Amino acid sequence: ENVDPQKTAFLLRKAWTLYSVTPLYRFHRARLRDYARLLSAFIAAEKQKGLAVEVGVELDIKVAVSSLADLRGSEQDQAAVLVQLSLRSQASSRNSEDKLVWSGWFCSVYGDDLSENVPEDFTCLPLFLTHGAESYTSMVGSWFQKTFDCCFRRLAISPLNLSWMVAMWAGCQLDGAASAVELVFSVPRLSQPLDISYAIHPEDAKALWDTVQKTPGEITQEEVNVFMDCLYAHFHRHFKIHLSAAKLVKVSTAVASAHCDGIVKILHSQYLPGVLMLLTELAISQIQ
Amino acid sequence: MDETVAEYIRRTVLKIPRDEIKTMLQKWGFLSEAQLQTLNFRQIKDNISQEVVQLCEENSADIKQAAVLDIIYNHIYHNKRMWSVYQMKKSGEELEYFDITDFKKKFKGRLRSALKNVTITFKEYEDNAIWIRVAWGTPYKKPNQYKPSYVVYHSQTPYVFISSSVLKSNLPLLCQALIVASNYHDIREMELRSHSLNSLKDIVFKRYSQNFQTYSPKPLQGGNSEPESADIRIVQENRSEKERIHRLNEEVFGGGPQPKLEFAQYKLETMFKSDPKMGVLDKKEPFRCLVKFSSPHLLESLKSLAPAGMADAPLSPLLTCIPHKARNYFKIREKKGLFPESFVSP
Repeated sequence: ENVDPQKTAFLLRKAWTLYSVTPLYRFHRARLRDYARLLSAFIAAEKQKGLAVEVGVELDIKVAVSSLADLRGSEQDQAAVLVQLSLRSQASSRNSEDKLVWSGWFCSVYGDDLSENVPEDFTCLPLFLTHGAESYTSMVGSWFQKTFDCCFRRLAISPLNLSWMVAMWAGCQLDGAASAVELVFSVPRLSQPLDISYAIHPEDAKALWDTVQKTPGEITQEEVNVFMDCLYAHFHRHFKIHLSAAKLVKVSTAVASAHCDGIVKILHSQYLPGVLMLLTELAISQIQ
Repeated sequence: MDETVAEYIRRTVLKIPRDEIKTMLQKWGFLSEAQLQTLNFRQIKDNISQEVVQLCEENSADIKQAAVLDIIYNHIYHNKRMWSVYQMKKSGEELEYFDITDFKKKFKGRLRSALKNVTITFKEYEDNAIWIRVAWGTPYKKPNQYKPSYVVYHSQTPYVFISSSVLKSNLPLLCQALIVASNYHDIREMELRSHSLNSLKDIVFKRYSQNFQTYSPKPLQGGNSEPESADIRIVQENRSEKERIHRLNEEVFGGGPQPKLEFAQYKLETMFKSDPKMGVLDKKEPFRCLVKFSSPHLLESLKSLAPAGMADAPLSPLLTCIPHKARNYFKIREKKGLFPESFVSP
């Protein structure tokens, strides 16, 4: 639970694309270096087949696979696994650094619902987050699918879940200046599409949530509904528009932001476990 | 020819879509028809622009002519820039005869007295629009031709449309020069911004169709109504409600096309009010919000909200007032006293 902020700094302030992953069959943590080698060979082969189209230079990809011991919720969770793809530097000197071009990591934060019900040979890491070009994601995903007989699916986030997130995160106590609590709606089926951005001062949003939430540490669907209804009512009072009928596509707070296409950005290490726990839950419900 | 001028002309031509280059060069009129005939417009733009530069070299083009070409480009592609609207005020109401030569002289004079290094170019268009391009320098540096300001002034009106360069510090000087040259005594920025210069003009010159208070006794047939239901047994499906919405929309927005705006922004500083039964927030301070509406054609999309069932009809005056108040930036505060439900925007 005490995640070293240094080790997790790389997670923050990046837009991660989310996937759910079914349990990995016969994944052995001792063999991470082998996996890196095999994945590297796979990628090289894919490039030679011309399946990954990269404009320009002949690219030499270096693969690193590592275990992040601290990135988990409970002892039942598997530690996170990080895969990094770097461009091997052209210069031969030892000082020149390789350029990181793609990262992806598997994790489980309080994913007991899944791991409890799964046979021994399986490793549960239901949440997969990627950052980098889609072509690399697809190669890495294909290799894992082939090797561990698992299945990846993009994790979309429904308006219902987005409203949970914004209510939860709006209530978070943060030191220092916080950014606005923003909800972005889209109204697509009009003659001309309309986007509505509704940004609330973080202090005022938190004040509203604090009066709605009855039990600290616990959030109910009822409370989230009341919070959202308040925001919708305030909006309707001014503009006569039924925001509840529009599609909530993105929410953004000082803690994190999330987009309905399954893209999140985590901004504060303090709330990292909480955000990951919520996302793990979403991933698990998509798998089951 | 100065190589900075050559480079500037080359880059300006490169911006133009290939099929438009010939027409634009003809409008420019700096190259003769004979010279234009020698150009091969079927090659890649890089080569076309090089050839144009060579011809300009033959004619010894200087920055003044290059600036005119830039105005022509921006006049046609004005939608690529963001325009703000300014309104000038006269002290008296004397109808003075507008003398374009006098205007230009005073404008240049005012700018040059403050700033030596500045390129000023004028071009007049048929609709009484005077386009002014100003490239700004410093006492020690020549003007930056790549970040000019553009001003569009309709001499018969108190309105000026400005697409400012990034160098905002020059804006006050620009405004001063405008009022001096046009014999006004003050200028203020309106809360109205858009990429569509023509729509801004439509709004301030009131050229869009406004709500006419005509009463139509018969229910409206056809027009904007939804296609008839497939099931012939459904005849009256919300028809009266649909017609009511349609009528209210027409009253508020008018029947014709709306001016094209891309966004409207509202800074809300009103109180949060709720049903006391809900037991939620009851602060004495405002609930601070910033709401932004965006659309390729904002007013048309707002107009379609009520028919789509997304909004009540009539739509809120905060939205419908945009064209006739000529603004798309608002600050809304609670109106104290008699009418707690209504809003005031300064």
